[in-house]
Amino acid sequence: MAKEVIMPKFSMTQEVGKIAHWLRAAGDVVEKGEPIAEVETDKVNMEIEAPADGILGGIRYQAGDEVPVTVVIAYILAEGEDAPAGQASAGATPAEPAPEPQRTAAVSATPVAQRMAAETGIDLAQVAGSGPGGRITRGDVERHLAAASPPSGNGKVRATPAARRIAREHNIALVTVAGSGPNGRIQAADVQTAATQDAVPTSPAMAAPSGTPTIFPLEGMRRTIADRMQASYQQAPHILFSADIDMTRARELRQTINARLPEGEPPVSMTAILVRMCAWTLRQHPIVNSHFRDGQIWLMPTVNVGVAVALDDGLIVPVIHHADQKGLRVIGAEVHELAARARAGRLRPQDMMDGTFTVSNLGMYGIDHFTAIINPPEVAILSVGRIAKRFMPDDNDQPVALPLMTVTLAVDHRVIDGAVAAQFVATLKAVLEEPVSLLM
Amino acid sequence: MYGGAFGVSAGLYDQFGAERVRDTPISEAAIAGACLGAALTGMRPIGEIQFMDFVTLSMEQLVLQASKVRFMFGGKASAPFVLRMPGGSGTGAAAQHSQSLENWFVHVPGLKVVMPSSAYDAKGLLLASIDDDNPVIFVEHKLLYKTKGHVPAEMYRIPLSQSHIVRQGRDVTVVATSIMVQRALAAADELAPEGIEIEIVDPRTLSPLDEEPIVESVIKTGRVLVVHEAVITGGFGGEIVSRIASSAAFDYLDAPVRRLAGRHMPIPYNRTLEYHTVPQVENIVEEARRLAQGVY
Amino acid sequence: MLVTHSLPSDRVEELLSSIGADQACQMLERMQVIRYFEEKAEELYALGKIHGTMHLSIGQEATAVGASSAVRSGYDYLLNHHRGHGHCLAWGSDVNRTMAEFMGKEAGYCRGRGGSMHIADVERNNLGANGIVAGGVPIAPGVGLSIKLRGTDQVCLVIFGDGASNEGAFHEALNLASIWNLPVIFLCENNQYGMSMSIQRAANIERISLRAVAYGVPGETVDGNDLLAVYDAVGRAAAHARAGSGPTLIESVTYRWRGHSKSDRQAYRTRDEVKEWQAKDPIPRFARCLIEAGMLSEAEFEAVQQRAAQQIEAAVAFSDASPEPDVSTILEGVYA
Repeated sequence: MAKEVIMPKFSMTQEVGKIAHWLRAAGDVVEKGEPIAEVETDKVNMEIEAPADGILGGIRYQAGDEVPVTVVIAYILAEGEDAPAGQASAGATPAEPAPEPQRTAAVSATPVAQRMAAETGIDLAQVAGSGPGGRITRGDVERHLAAASPPSGNGKVRATPAARRIAREHNIALVTVAGSGPNGRIQAADVQTAATQDAVPTSPAMAAPSGTPTIFPLEGMRRTIADRMQASYQQAPHILFSADIDMTRARELRQTINARLPEGEPPVSMTAILVRMCAWTLRQHPIVNSHFRDGQIWLMPTVNVGVAVALDDGLIVPVIHHADQKGLRVIGAEVHELAARARAGRLRPQDMMDGTFTVSNLGMYGIDHFTAIINPPEVAILSVGRIAKRFMPDDNDQPVALPLMTVTLAVDHRVIDGAVAAQFVATLKAVLEEPVSLLM
Repeated sequence: MYGGAFGVSAGLYDQFGAERVRDTPISEAAIAGACLGAALTGMRPIGEIQFMDFVTLSMEQLVLQASKVRFMFGGKASAPFVLRMPGGSGTGAAAQHSQSLENWFVHVPGLKVVMPSSAYDAKGLLLASIDDDNPVIFVEHKLLYKTKGHVPAEMYRIPLSQSHIVRQGRDVTVVATSIMVQRALAAADELAPEGIEIEIVDPRTLSPLDEEPIVESVIKTGRVLVVHEAVITGGFGGEIVSRIASSAAFDYLDAPVRRLAGRHMPIPYNRTLEYHTVPQVENIVEEARRLAQGVY
Repeated sequence: MLVTHSLPSDRVEELLSSIGADQACQMLERMQVIRYFEEKAEELYALGKIHGTMHLSIGQEATAVGASSAVRSGYDYLLNHHRGHGHCLAWGSDVNRTMAEFMGKEAGYCRGRGGSMHIADVERNNLGANGIVAGGVPIAPGVGLSIKLRGTDQVCLVIFGDGASNEGAFHEALNLASIWNLPVIFLCENNQYGMSMSIQRAANIERISLRAVAYGVPGETVDGNDLLAVYDAVGRAAAHARAGSGPTLIESVTYRWRGHSKSDRQAYRTRDEVKEWQAKDPIPRFARCLIEAGMLSEAEFEAVQQRAAQQIEAAVAFSDASPEPDVSTILEGVYA
């Protein structure tokens, strides 16, 4: 029977061996214990010995190949026997590998920068490197620290642990306590004194902010939002395009539709109209309807518009799928239902999947304009302010009061250039100002 | 012949005979090895190293063998022996006969490390060490051989791993080992008339350490001074300070934790230089006073 | 190269008749078990199933089995060295539990805490293999002292390598055992290399046993690949010790077929030299001796080999089935 020749494990830490050269060739008659190949390991060169008497055959790896330990590299065959085909048999299955210790991703940084980062507790992945090949230098770390640290007079109080404990117990702000220790350090006795005096009421103006902050760990949705928004803001270079849109016609459209809805059907919201108009605009500018994933641009085949919905404890984006193929009444009903489901915490996973563009409307809060962060892997988001009457000069430079709405489109510059984004905004503005374009 | 370099075992030979009380050649590895071999096979040997400095020649048997046999053999081997050794300076014995190397052994799991600070403790701790089923490094300060104290005739034991409040006080906790306990007591007497009361805690067993009485004392006083003769760098005081900082006592600290220990240097021969190498009573007085007065 | 003489044929006859055919065949089987154990160890290592390194004693089986058979294993004491799988098995310890220890399992002799280099069978007075060169040697006088004070007729067999004979601890221990007249057999298993340094380069004397002279104890060098020669010398040393006459130093000259450990390229010796020693394989040599004495047939030898192989397969299955130590027990045994 063919005897497997495996890449042996020569040392405790070895994972692979590189075949330096075969000492014997296929077809050679070899004796058990005879060296048949030389292997380079992370330590030294070692010889692989024939595990049995026979004929060397079925050589699977050549000189220069790196082979994981325990993998079959050849066979020792009997006279007239052929090497087995396919993968190594179960006999050569390596033991379950021990879990590797977690390693942090390699960041190129000078030793000094690494030490400073370790000392100051900053994450080098957050620091831009200016050295060769983006290597992070001491100066980079210093600039990062300068940008991150609050201005001097940072409110740090010198106090002993005992003083801090007593202050906590008595709800006394240490900034209000005079320290009698070296360099004005607050001692336990100082806080005790303050605690006694605290029984005497002080004027409200003098009352220091009391209590300690309530601390919540970032969990669940908060954590997801934090991670995704941070990643988006850091990875996607946002460029912004704002325009004031005259909403006269859009308002008329909404009123017309709502007047014709059957009794009891919820009215179509301005958000629903925006979803419909954005979907149409996205069809005119398909690049905006893409995803950026793994360094590639994915032009998405369907137009699925997400609507940001504020919750008490976060934010969620249900999606109107195929928004370019649905009528305003359908979209209106879906927006209404999804928002209700979102607030009740009863969205289904499919309600939130496959968005290709997001609309965030904060007009109902009286916001004029703002900028939302792109919801990856999407490449654009539209921030919508309130509709407010503002005087604008008419063709004769006479002031007219127009219902204007400011929209701001944020796009990922890795995918979309400024002119394309500007054209998108122009198209959207046109269709909102003349909804009849939709039919043309 | 002489009952050891300091006469500690004088008279034992006459009392118990040549089979049980043996002179050895100056072979520290063999002394430690013989203790281990006999202990592994049912004996409770007590070995003596002439000067603690020479235990360096026994390190392999202590650190690589005795400390590990129980664990390495799945809990099935036992090495109950005591290795006594005189440590410390103050006798003009200079750099190779005056060291305090106890923390090396504290760092080795499987060894116990005991340092008595008085005659009474020496007897009670030695008997407890002999009874113990682990290898025990028993460090005796040479200058303590000259001290006197009441020692009952009966065979009392002081349990290992029990820290001892040697003196009560409200202002400053002094954690001291070996001879430094005696010096701290003298310092306490000097400070008492000033109204400064120091509390002295003697761990007695350095490893495994009974941390609780130290923590409780620091919670009471809020100020702590750790004193030992061994070199400050990497000394046992660092361990004590670290335990305090990680404990419930942290929130009660009202001053930086201070250490007083041997300077980072070999012990000099010259009497004056030697005196100034390790903590003396006046140093403890000064440090404890500054702590109590809030200078630190 | 040190020349060792064969035992005279009348001495061979005398020894074999005192051992008897059954016992002799068991000794042969034990050597075969050791050989297969270590070949299996090597195989398991190459398969990545072993965490750590190992030191194989293939080629040295006669020294382990000859010495252990010459004392009362389980009653007497054993201290041995890092290349110790063979000594443990020769001492009569259970193959399953030895293999389980090698594989780091809870059912191993040391509950997986010791491993290849620290296998001990304390219940049977095997006080453990030692990872430190000469580490076990100074322990032996302590064991001897304990025997003496307890007044039993036990002996302590301490096995160490040629490398250990250049450690200070060896000299301290031999001297102490000598001046206290302790029942210790110092057995130097000279396999010719301390790691990569040959004993010819490491010591300026022809025989390590000559060092006995310096401490006033008997010294002897035997052919370590001749089971009977080792058996004979250790047996005489044991009788000497039990009679209250003190320690003996025996040098057993043998050869390590494999590298020092798994990561040894063996650049310090030639393949021809290894082959020369492989021709002196102690197992077929003892088998031939038994066949010539009419105590064994070729068929019986094959049966011995089959039984040995089966024991190893069973030991691997036993160890594979044994649980890993529970992490909650991690601190057990650090202190009493």
